[in-house]
Amino acid sequence: MLKGFVRNIAPMEILSKEQIESLHAATLDVLWNTGIRIEHKKALSLLEENGCKVDHDHMRVKFPARLVEDCLRKCPGSFRVASRDSQYDLLIGANRTYMMTFPGMQALDKDNWEPRVATRKENYDGVTIIDALENVHSMSPYFPYFGFESVPSVMGIPECLAANLRNSTKISMCGYGNNCESYCINMAKASEQEIIGMCLAAPPLTYFSEAIESLFRYVESGLPILFGGGQVFGGTAPATIAGATVTNNAELIAPLVLAQIIRPGTRVIAAEFAFPQNMKNGAPDFGSIGISLHSAVFNQIWRKYEVPVADCNPGPSSSKMIDFQCGYEKTAALFTAALSGANIIQFHGGLYGELSWHPLQAILDDDVAGMIGRLIQGITVDDETIALDLIDQTGPVPGHYLNTKHTREWWKREQFIAKAADRMTYPEWLETGKKSCLDLSHQIMENILATHRVSRPLTPSQEEEVDKILQEARDYYRSSGLISDKEWESISVL
Amino acid sequence: MSTLRIIENLKQAILEYDSDAAETWVKRAVEEGIDPIEVMDELTAAINQVGDSFGKGDLWLPDLVGAADAMKASVPVLEEELKKTGRKRQSLGVVVIGTVFGDIHDIGKSMVSTLLLAEGFEVNDLGVNIKADDFIYALEEYCPNILAMSALLTTTAAEQRKVVNAMKKKGIRDRVRVMVGGGAITASFADSIGADGYDPTAPGAVRLAKKLMGA
Repeated sequence: MLKGFVRNIAPMEILSKEQIESLHAATLDVLWNTGIRIEHKKALSLLEENGCKVDHDHMRVKFPARLVEDCLRKCPGSFRVASRDSQYDLLIGANRTYMMTFPGMQALDKDNWEPRVATRKENYDGVTIIDALENVHSMSPYFPYFGFESVPSVMGIPECLAANLRNSTKISMCGYGNNCESYCINMAKASEQEIIGMCLAAPPLTYFSEAIESLFRYVESGLPILFGGGQVFGGTAPATIAGATVTNNAELIAPLVLAQIIRPGTRVIAAEFAFPQNMKNGAPDFGSIGISLHSAVFNQIWRKYEVPVADCNPGPSSSKMIDFQCGYEKTAALFTAALSGANIIQFHGGLYGELSWHPLQAILDDDVAGMIGRLIQGITVDDETIALDLIDQTGPVPGHYLNTKHTREWWKREQFIAKAADRMTYPEWLETGKKSCLDLSHQIMENILATHRVSRPLTPSQEEEVDKILQEARDYYRSSGLISDKEWESISVL
Repeated sequence: MSTLRIIENLKQAILEYDSDAAETWVKRAVEEGIDPIEVMDELTAAINQVGDSFGKGDLWLPDLVGAADAMKASVPVLEEELKKTGRKRQSLGVVVIGTVFGDIHDIGKSMVSTLLLAEGFEVNDLGVNIKADDFIYALEEYCPNILAMSALLTTTAAEQRKVVNAMKKKGIRDRVRVMVGGGAITASFADSIGADGYDPTAPGAVRLAKKLMGA
């Protein structure tokens, strides 16, 4: 099992007990009085049979508080997700934090920072780099590029999952749409590796049929599932953090109830993916501090519910390139997410929104993740670490600690050693060609791509099965008219 | 009350984002027999003023949407009046716009819709989560020059292709210019589905619409 970062410090809390109660009471009020629109007949019937009030004409479901509380109790507070190589299993929940990638639709060239469609090699190399990096433990949906050259857009999710399964044993999250989740579940089974499914709200307070269909498929397959939204404050949620928290909570609890009805004890994750709205261009305001305020509130409330949480917000920045803005926006959000107790944090490699991903950013992010991971692990205070006898033996100058066994045993455990950061002295830096952290991360990337191999590759029969499932998916989309003639021709020349 | 005063109050309602007042004053204008074309021109001037301030950075998205809502509350009253007399208002062109099925992202689409309106297009905004069949019905009903579709999610981008395919099947593809946008759309995707144009930004979408109309 991957250890991740075990938080050994009290979580940052910004709400009082009374404020938590107010937000929870308001959530229950929205669930019962306003209700959630769920555009899925089977779900409506099931919810009605289990005590919800359902207006079938308007597909509006009202959830009684008792059912909500009961279903929240049924969610496991922590759970294992199994890789085909058990050393990469995750134990999600409680005070453990895992880092995850954040995807981006397109690749960027670092000489001009203009987005373009990724090549197949870039996509597969991206997965290899993440498999090799020490401080990232799992992969986000659509990772890295939502698809790549010669892949029809409708095949993006299955092709990305296949790349993840082939080049990594780290656990993948997986999206849905156009029934692709069926193929993804089959690929996961064929690879003997669990994936984490998804079901996303359409804020405010709505679920479309595709999202609920995905929920049924993942939950009935016995896989864990993440519920998220993607709300923007002032657009698809109230402009206030408190109001947005209430609608977000209601949006996430509704499918959670459904999942626990379908299969009690289903492993669920509540995802925080909410942003203030940029009131100039209408886009989510990636990288703004409102994100951190919301994530601190969210993490505190869901810790009370004892449901594991994923913070996706530290992943994207508003910057279009690897620069100072990108660094400070992502790091500020990561600090808050980690300190306030997120169990999964999407972070590595994301640049602007979900629109671009870069392997060098992922390598730099790995240092930041390691630093903050080290921070939340806190310190050990006991006789050995206080080292009273050693202090007494060493005494004042000329005594020092560099030559002690205690230093040799402890310094690496106490410090985090950055890999890509420039930690050279001025003379060293001048002599070695004035390399920046971006240059150093490039060296790391080249080294990884030259040497790293996945710990347990798919067996030939697993490879064959994955290929077969991908072909079934292509044939299905071709016959449904979702792959054009032009796209079909580009597949056949692969 | 004088014509000038009524028009001023109506423009003020737009500039204060007051839909109720806008509707009240436009009805009053009709009752007083003011030429609906003249009222429409004044409304367009008011929304243009808001659009300009937005463009300069003096106003923000909630202001733009507030003004557009106030205008939308007024326009049907005038259109009803024009219908009675058989007259048609001048416009740069007729647009049908919507976010495709499975996708409820409204904001980008609404920005384009509002800016097109401000620029002088007649805009029929179908809303969000629009199925291919419903786009086809709207194309038959409004006979637009342009169909504009939005999709923010990669999972729903494929819906744009479905609509274009449905247009071809119905034999109406050549009658309408198709423009696409939204976070999930790229120029190469737009090209692959046979769209006539793509732009990633709302102001760019307006420039594209004008170009498609030869304006």
